[in-house]
Amino acid sequence: MDPFLLEALVNGILLGGVFALPVLGCNLVFGVVDVVWLCYAELVMVGMYAVWFLHTQQAWPLYLAFAAALPLVGLLGVLLHLIVVKPLLGAPPINQLLATGGVLFVLQGGAMLVFGTDFRSLGVELPPMEWHDVFVSGTKLAAFCAALAGAAALWAFLKFTYIGIAIRAIARDREVMPLMGVDPRRVYVVASAVGGALAGLAACLLVVQLDVHPFIGLSFGPITFMICVMGGLGNMLGGFLAAFLMGLIVSTGSFWWNTEMSYVIAFAFFIAVIFGRPRGLFAR
Amino acid sequence: MSVSRRGLIAAGAGLPFAPLSLPARAQPASGAPIRIGVLFDLSGPLAAAGSQACAVGAEIAFDLFNERGGAGGRPAQVVAADSQSRAEVAINEAERLISQEGLDVVMGVFSSAHAMPLAQRFEAQRKLLWITTAISTAVIKGRNFTHVFRPTVHSDQYGEASVQFLLEHSERAMRIAPNNLRVAIIHEDGPYGTGVAAATDTLAKAAGMRVVLHEGYAATAPDLSTLVTKLRRERPDVILHTGYNPDITLFLRQAKAGGLRTRMIIGQGAGYSQIDRLTETFGAEMNHFCNVDPAGTQMLEPEKLTPEVRDLRQVLMQRYEAKTRARDLPTHASTGFNSAWTFLENVLKPAVRDGGGSIAAMIRATQSVDLPVGGTIQGHGLKFYPPGHEMAGQNERSSTVVMQYENARAKVVWPTAIASGPPVLPFPASSPFALRS
Repeated sequence: MDPFLLEALVNGILLGGVFALPVLGCNLVFGVVDVVWLCYAELVMVGMYAVWFLHTQQAWPLYLAFAAALPLVGLLGVLLHLIVVKPLLGAPPINQLLATGGVLFVLQGGAMLVFGTDFRSLGVELPPMEWHDVFVSGTKLAAFCAALAGAAALWAFLKFTYIGIAIRAIARDREVMPLMGVDPRRVYVVASAVGGALAGLAACLLVVQLDVHPFIGLSFGPITFMICVMGGLGNMLGGFLAAFLMGLIVSTGSFWWNTEMSYVIAFAFFIAVIFGRPRGLFAR
Repeated sequence: MSVSRRGLIAAGAGLPFAPLSLPARAQPASGAPIRIGVLFDLSGPLAAAGSQACAVGAEIAFDLFNERGGAGGRPAQVVAADSQSRAEVAINEAERLISQEGLDVVMGVFSSAHAMPLAQRFEAQRKLLWITTAISTAVIKGRNFTHVFRPTVHSDQYGEASVQFLLEHSERAMRIAPNNLRVAIIHEDGPYGTGVAAATDTLAKAAGMRVVLHEGYAATAPDLSTLVTKLRRERPDVILHTGYNPDITLFLRQAKAGGLRTRMIIGQGAGYSQIDRLTETFGAEMNHFCNVDPAGTQMLEPEKLTPEVRDLRQVLMQRYEAKTRARDLPTHASTGFNSAWTFLENVLKPAVRDGGGSIAAMIRATQSVDLPVGGTIQGHGLKFYPPGHEMAGQNERSSTVVMQYENARAKVVWPTAIASGPPVLPFPASSPFALRS
């Protein structure tokens, strides 16, 4: 096999791993609370700044900065739910979208006021690995493994804990579960915290790969939502698989044609999916 | 020339409150202000890609101009606007400056994607647009503008400088004849990157070089690793890269992780001119990268500039450092200052003196500007192509240099006549991008 094609395929899978975590977080929140957090990528941005600030400005060890970012962004998710989403739970979806879209600009503007427009680099990287002329970024591979571990932990949480089962139950039928004694308000808060913590984990994985700046969300926010819709909004397994599919489309499209065309192909595929399977590629 | 008493005393005594090393020229301007729109990207990705440095440079020019008496005693007042790195915001802000603020002149504009629509609108409304930074040739070429002016370089000149540099040094330094030189051209896909890449491609092929890859990408792309894979496959001797930031840092980071090695990477302005930022991320790994852009004023030998320009250069360097604590003056700061200063001093001042500051008087003044090479802080002169010329409104005396970085400092390595030494070419073995023997 052409080693360069093999390398492109590996790149695509690793890229899918990068997309997967924010997709899981977005889908978890939508599946449970039924609200799209348009500002999800900006929560990731806040987490990236937190890691950068704690590690480079406060000299915290990197693992401690990572450990702090998860609950911090988780807390931000809870605040977002309590302050912005909860009062709008009964409002038309467009109002909810506009409200979380407004938070997007507040977070961008806030980051710009606090940190300026400069690009901030963590300055951490792992050496690349080479195998028969195929290069794999050590940093991306580590991030990919952490993303898989995060996804597995989420699966275990939803599968084996009481609150996780309640979350899945609410996602399955929002109307019936309250009749069985589950308090949806508590489940919403927990789902928002977990969704936020996943954004925090995504931040930890992205901050070692990308420079952070107030507008970093533009780089992966739109494609995250596209993947969520493609996999089926609220469908976590669908979103997870769609993330890898999208990574491979972008990577191989770039390899056989060019980088610009790869995104054209990805968007064309997305449009075709929406026409053919409007509820998502993996909708049941 | 009138000398203020305070300035004379300060200069004589060397007091710390003297306005830096600037000799006193005139009473500060105090008459009715002349309001001028200044439009840069003060937020968004383009801000840190150089637009903010341009804005600071322009601000220093306005301050200095007013301290020196302004235009016939009238200060030039900045009406600032932020285009937020978005073309639609740039258009709206320009409209606001014209229709609500009632301004006749707007200067600035960092991005060519913003300059393209703005130029057309200003021309249609017969208002004056002074483009300080956006360099795409297509903004001006063949559009026969009479109200749009660009005192700085245009994108074709980046291609010319890159190719000429390689023609002169390829065989000497790398032992590769130009017709065997494998060149890859990669670029962000806006008008800026596309324009520079198109000119580079045409001129490289005309010079007999082998363009083995020519590819664009969106500046917001989250991943460029497959582009790196393709570059490895094509084994270019030289990579010519036009980008902003953070796409440049993303590319370089993934290039390093992806095992990309080559003889030289030549940046072509914008993000590559922000060497402080790149050094923050990559440290000494940025050593020996080349970059094409107009010269930063600190790179030029002072004796090649006129005495007045030498004085301006000194003021800019001192004030920019005081404002930003930058280690090395970014090229964009020189460009912002230079473009603003030449407008204020060579267009606004005579227009106020001879025509009350009307647009017609300013247009007349632009046609009379005739600064020789060495007459601006960036070393180039200033004379605009006349109406009717396919490049009407473009400075025909603008020029670029090739610079090379060493410990976050830039030195000119081309044109040879003003180079401070020969380039280090190819990358030395200490570079993570150097070919392995």
